[in-house]
Amino acid sequence: MFRGIIDLKSLWLIGAIFIILLILPPIIPRFYTYILTLIFVTALLAMSLNLCVGYGGMFQFHHGVFYGVGAYTVALMLTKTSLPVWVGFIAGPIVAAAVGLLIGWFCVRLTRLYFGMLQISLGSLIWAIAFRWYTLTGGDDGIHGIPMPSLLSSLNSSYYFILIILVICLIVLYLIVKSPFGRTLQAIRDNPERCEAVGVNVRRHQLITIVIATFFAGIAGVLFVVLEHSVFPDLMFWVLSLEAFIMCLLGGWFTFAGPVLGAAIMISLRTFVGIYTEYWTLILGIVLILLIFFLPEGVMGYFLEKFKPRAKEVVERSSELNVAG
Amino acid sequence: MQLGFIEEDGFQMEYVLTFGPSELACQLLVGLSRSMLLFIVTAGLSLVLGVLRVPNIAHGSLYMIGAFTAFTVSTVVGGAGGFWLSLIVAPLAVALVGLVAERILFCHLYEREHLMLLLFTFALMLILGDLVKIIWGAEYRSVTTASLLQGSFMIFGLPFPRYNLFLLIMGPLVAVALWLFVSKTKIGRISRAAAVDREMVGVLGINVSWVFATAFVIGCLLAGLGGALIAPTVSITLGMDHTIIIEAFLIVTIGGLGNMWGALIGSLIFGITHSFGVMFWPQFAIVFPYVAVVIVLLLRPRGMLKSVW
Amino acid sequence: MLQVEAVDKSFGDFMAVNRANLTVGKGELVAVIGPNGAGKTTLFNLITGQLKPDRGRITFKEEDISGLPPYHICKKGVARSFQIVNIFPRLTVFENVQVAVLSQQKRSSNLFRPAQNLAVEETNSILEDVALSDKIMDIAGSLSHGDQKILEIAIALGNEPELLVLDEPTAGMSPEETFATMGLIKKLASTRGLTILFCEHDMEVVFSFAQSIMVMHQGRTLIQGKPEEVRRNKEVQEAYLGD
Repeated sequence: MFRGIIDLKSLWLIGAIFIILLILPPIIPRFYTYILTLIFVTALLAMSLNLCVGYGGMFQFHHGVFYGVGAYTVALMLTKTSLPVWVGFIAGPIVAAAVGLLIGWFCVRLTRLYFGMLQISLGSLIWAIAFRWYTLTGGDDGIHGIPMPSLLSSLNSSYYFILIILVICLIVLYLIVKSPFGRTLQAIRDNPERCEAVGVNVRRHQLITIVIATFFAGIAGVLFVVLEHSVFPDLMFWVLSLEAFIMCLLGGWFTFAGPVLGAAIMISLRTFVGIYTEYWTLILGIVLILLIFFLPEGVMGYFLEKFKPRAKEVVERSSELNVAG
Repeated sequence: MQLGFIEEDGFQMEYVLTFGPSELACQLLVGLSRSMLLFIVTAGLSLVLGVLRVPNIAHGSLYMIGAFTAFTVSTVVGGAGGFWLSLIVAPLAVALVGLVAERILFCHLYEREHLMLLLFTFALMLILGDLVKIIWGAEYRSVTTASLLQGSFMIFGLPFPRYNLFLLIMGPLVAVALWLFVSKTKIGRISRAAAVDREMVGVLGINVSWVFATAFVIGCLLAGLGGALIAPTVSITLGMDHTIIIEAFLIVTIGGLGNMWGALIGSLIFGITHSFGVMFWPQFAIVFPYVAVVIVLLLRPRGMLKSVW
Repeated sequence: MLQVEAVDKSFGDFMAVNRANLTVGKGELVAVIGPNGAGKTTLFNLITGQLKPDRGRITFKEEDISGLPPYHICKKGVARSFQIVNIFPRLTVFENVQVAVLSQQKRSSNLFRPAQNLAVEETNSILEDVALSDKIMDIAGSLSHGDQKILEIAIALGNEPELLVLDEPTAGMSPEETFATMGLIKKLASTRGLTILFCEHDMEVVFSFAQSIMVMHQGRTLIQGKPEEVRRNKEVQEAYLGD
């Protein structure tokens, strides 16, 4: 299955990281375990977004909505119904993908900034409903104290659960990116007009991408509930969507692992700068501006540029292109 | 007649719960006055979008700075004079912040991709947001308007806030001033040309850099004025930038990116649907303008008026 | 094989294509010529579906294709290249062609097979035919202009077309490159059994390679015929010399 799409060296590296992550929880303070878990959840959100942004070239501006829909779905099913827990876990991503299909169906009719703006307005609609429908969603308070099965009640067990799910999702996403579907998607990103001319139904391809990406965002939403036992409307507010977008740009949106790195940087900054000063967003803003001036291809892009000749050309070329149109 | 009370995006107003023609007319006026406020803010955003091609997310923060500055000026000076002075000082202060940001940071980035500019202005929004927090703190603030503008008067047999009438006058005034700037001044005409064809202006030997700076400063001026104008009607607080900026972006999109009159039309659509939403279904009032935006974008994907993008 | 009958297309008040007619027979090498702004590119865009005709009929192998979306027309066996270089700049040369081959093999939506191992032979054989084999791992955006134009043709070949529509395949090339490229196109036509429709502004090239020439002027078809007929035609001489 992986023949030819991953080299041995990277495989060793990934294996080593995975093993380290497996043995960490018992030996590090509880707080760090929590931060790591939060990074995993956010990383999955950013990765799913990057399928649309970095690989598909779509202005998926309101991805957080699907994260929120996944989270709210599982939260509502666990608190308002007596269905088994796993039904909620499966329903989360499915509902998110269904909403993704609906919103995407409208959005793929438009391009670039207009695509993004339509998505923001449709997404804000869903946010507004969650924000205001007190009787169902708890309005601006959200829902707290969502019961979890005893298997997932401790932090360490949810750490392992989330880590395993994340690894599975990353493998699946990697396969998708390397598949003919993913390759065609990258071609669409580079040149949608040309892609139509070689016989690709561009809109349909983009729509399928959105459904896949929102499915994974839904999984991330479910994992968020597993970690936090609560949901609130800020999950669907545009600031969170933009933050996820920025994780992709920050880590390097033309690389597969970039968004994970972006998520890790963002969460760590917030947490560890937050310990020293309440003005952590000020620091984040300054860091972002420094990055824009000095590492325009993102952190991951920078390292790839340093170490891989082929990637260097990609990076150089891409900085010349007006990707945003 | 029955009165209800609702707080909407910080707007605290009394709203009518039963409605006939005069209530509808009155609510339309409320909507119009809100539209005027939105127009003042979005015209600035639209100008920057059109001339500089920068989707400036920090525009909302500039608006917030305008509101906080208005608070400081009106409390320090006090009385009616304080309020009137705040309408002048706040826009100028914000324009100064804008000028500094433009000369130090923006001017190096105009050739970058739009996504990078988006990231950059987002970073600026984070920084400005925290600066506001450092200077003014996280408490809620409020501004008292001049006594001339307090209270209400009767129209269609219903009370109508005087301040809203003031907004209804200010909106067209700003629109006319902008029109004069764009069509009657040299730099305005150049910036309009720059919005349509950037290379051309450069070829003509005009210093584009200063045209950009001027347009940006005027955009900031408008953001500051918007902030100062909204100050008496809401509780001024951190986070007011988040709410306004998303609305502003949707408005300029449905109006036609970079088209100032599009911003006017977009503001009218947004403000009026919102105000009728408040009337018919207050709980979900915020949903109405979003629905309107979706409908406009589906019918006219590139906005109501010609976009310069 | 391809029939264009009385096709119109206007943009606002401007009639870009006005009752244009064109016949392309199987195996032919047909050129469309005309001064700048004569509507050649618009005509090609109408044939391959980037634009929809206002009036008239376009048939391919006796089947009406007017107004179908580009990807649909492509599936029927019409592939094209563009006047302005139109490739996938961030993909490798190999991937550029492979995307087209995958689409041709209806594998574009395949989600779980590594693309690396698919359609390799077909892609390599095309790249060999156009002499780009030594650059397969290069990023397409970093190629020279001439190579990008060739790659453009290679992408079109990936769709195994019966009819290849080339919009100024040699635009921006030096005279030597132009003749080499036209030679390549002619060779491809015979080895792959292609029918070729192209437009080109270099008259020398057109008259030495094309078997049939259609002349457009202000959106209209002046004449279509063998090179000698076209050369002798009064109207054509006026169109080129008159203004």
